[in-house]
Amino acid sequence: MLGWMGQILDVNLSTGAIEAHPLDLEMARQFVGGRGLGARLLWDLVDPRLDPLSPDNVLVFATGPLTATAFPTSNRFTVSTKSPLTGTILDANAGGFWGMRFKRAGYDALIVRGRAPRPMYLEITRTGPALKPADHLWGKTVFEATAALGQGRARNVLCIGPAGERLVRIAAIMNDASRSLARGGPGAVMGSKQLKAIVVEGDQHLEFADREYFKFVVYESSKHLKASPLTSQALPRFGTAALVNILNLFGALPARNFQLSQFADAEQISGEALTDQFLVKNTACWACPIACIRQTRTARREGEGPEYESIWALGAACGVSDLETIVEANYLCNELGLDTISTGATIACAMELVQRGTIPDGPRFGQAEALPDTIRSIARREGLGDELAEGSRRFAERHGVPECSMSVKGLELPAYDPRGMQGQGLLYATSNRGGCHLRGNMLGPELLGLPKRINRFQVQGKASIVSLHQNSAAAIDSLVLCKFCNLAVAEEFFARVLTATTGIHCSTGELLQIGERVWNLERLFNLRAGFTRADDTLPPRLLQEPVADGPSKGWVVHLEEMLEEYYRGRGWDRDGVPTPEKLHELGLSKRR
Amino acid sequence: MNLDPEIFRQFQEIGRDLYEASLISSHGGNLSLRLGDKLAIKRRGAMLGRLQLDDIVITGLDKPDSGVVLASTELVVHRAIYRRTPALAVVHAHPRTAIALSLSREEIVPIDNEASYFLHKVPVVAAEFASGSGELEEKVPAALAQYKIIMLRGHGAFSIGQTLDEAFQWVSILEEASQIIAAAKVIGEPLVEYRKMSDAYKRW
Repeated sequence: MLGWMGQILDVNLSTGAIEAHPLDLEMARQFVGGRGLGARLLWDLVDPRLDPLSPDNVLVFATGPLTATAFPTSNRFTVSTKSPLTGTILDANAGGFWGMRFKRAGYDALIVRGRAPRPMYLEITRTGPALKPADHLWGKTVFEATAALGQGRARNVLCIGPAGERLVRIAAIMNDASRSLARGGPGAVMGSKQLKAIVVEGDQHLEFADREYFKFVVYESSKHLKASPLTSQALPRFGTAALVNILNLFGALPARNFQLSQFADAEQISGEALTDQFLVKNTACWACPIACIRQTRTARREGEGPEYESIWALGAACGVSDLETIVEANYLCNELGLDTISTGATIACAMELVQRGTIPDGPRFGQAEALPDTIRSIARREGLGDELAEGSRRFAERHGVPECSMSVKGLELPAYDPRGMQGQGLLYATSNRGGCHLRGNMLGPELLGLPKRINRFQVQGKASIVSLHQNSAAAIDSLVLCKFCNLAVAEEFFARVLTATTGIHCSTGELLQIGERVWNLERLFNLRAGFTRADDTLPPRLLQEPVADGPSKGWVVHLEEMLEEYYRGRGWDRDGVPTPEKLHELGLSKRR
Repeated sequence: MNLDPEIFRQFQEIGRDLYEASLISSHGGNLSLRLGDKLAIKRRGAMLGRLQLDDIVITGLDKPDSGVVLASTELVVHRAIYRRTPALAVVHAHPRTAIALSLSREEIVPIDNEASYFLHKVPVVAAEFASGSGELEEKVPAALAQYKIIMLRGHGAFSIGQTLDEAFQWVSILEEASQIIAAAKVIGEPLVEYRKMSDAYKRW
């Protein structure tokens, strides 16, 4: 079983039982690893209708056959669970070193079940896995717990912060201190299980089916990464923040809770400004030649980030242009274990409620000084923060203005205004984990011209492109690789390196069909959880309020036209339910 | 269902470019684009170099409809490609030098830098009937699930992409690579390898 380690570790926190099961090879062929394997395991283990914060929910941490192989960006791993924020199936993935180390400890996946009677952490070393008391770690920040558990060159720590412990629905799981399994609240699920951390040590050797061909595909892929100005210049030099000025130029940088599609102070929070004022150096995850991580320093603190999305959420979305405050707010989110996108977007929602007079007091647009205390109050569930800890949808509904939550299926939208990117609107509306830019991103074709530029306002034909990108993202998340690799390296390289690694032939078409299989299985999970066509929608603002000014002036998202074409193209019925023929084609007939 | 003017513009431009680059004869070649569960394809007998709006037919991917009355004879192959590969656009052209090379080899392995970088290798598929046959419906999609462009021996290239623009690029690169191979053969001097691991291109 080359490429996979062949074992799944299964930990029951309620009973303390720890077992290892063999990985089912047929399951691995069909779902590969990471997100796909996580979805498949969840299908067997979790009732889609359960309370996500109940002991019956599980966490599945999974690597893929490419993890730890030295293929560019092969450092990532995923966590899968039912989301406490959205109620959908959820996966989130992160880079760093933890995933590589976990796989080298000898496992493809880790299932965490039940609820520990007291705070615990899991330690996996050469002597095997063991559960240990974590009372002394409970309440500690991510940085404190990571240091206390001995993060080092051969020992990597994944943990939650105070936000996860307090079941904040936008809480992240953090690894290697500042890498983040961020979206959808997996930190709250880990907190509900009273599991503070997972520490891994591992140095097992990996075998390849065809090492020479593997080296060739790595070499060819590296040429593409070096040749692309995006992966060889923009991301190393400016990080993902290079996008601030680009999105603003196109009129697709949402500001003030999506009330505007351009931010007047974009230049002040741009990648250029971040580089000039705060960058110490760029660093990389394991086996990554791109090196987009920002090592930054302010007058008071030093840390990692922020990413483009975080700059947007804590900046433009809140009308904040003080970059130093944004940088430090990002550190604070990492320290407390919060998803920066949902945190910033939920604060932006509160700011709009203050602007409207719906709530009498709270943070105001442009009020940079309000950010740190609001973020702390969310993580501690204090005052208004306790309401915001539920995420923007529950918060806005509570105050009778659900339309002020800029979310899809309860997940706060990221940093692209879809009124200026029609395909992105369809992508958000149909995303299986809610409003997200990582389930396939139309940024490439609609704005950056990758692989080829298409008209961003075109409606007809967009559904097919969105479906393809969604399938591709699901496949990449199952391998598991970084989406930035795919900015320069096409799927045909991934199929070939998978073949070289595992010895199991996989064509480009087959790899994308694996992605389609994962997408459909996730859809089935959500349908069972009670989601319907009515949930494949966008906040009313994006459907009804034309952009007032700038390059996207006059546009709303033409969702219904695209959605019809999307369902038909996917082989789903008018209600968005996969047809029996489609499920048969994907080998999912038994999952109906 | 009406065709979006933006999509028609793409058909018109790529069709014109294919003709002007001598990648097709006056009535040869074809273009199609996937639109959900439908596809837009050139009408039978229309000239790619002079496309008008009513030269583009929209018909079903799976189910026959009245659109087939007007559609190209190669509709069945295009349908099969969309059903069995990730293609969103298909370009079928007759690149002359590549066709000549396809008559004597099982694959075209480029020796120039650009085609090595983008294509690595282009397989040659053989079929008894060169258009509109069940054999093509089987063999062409199978090859395109693995390669983004393939040669049909003695007939032409089938190329896939996310857009017509992308599929056109692969055809254009292949023909240039084929001309370079042919020119190098005419020059007849020993080639100096400048690429690392070049033996592995044949394994792509």
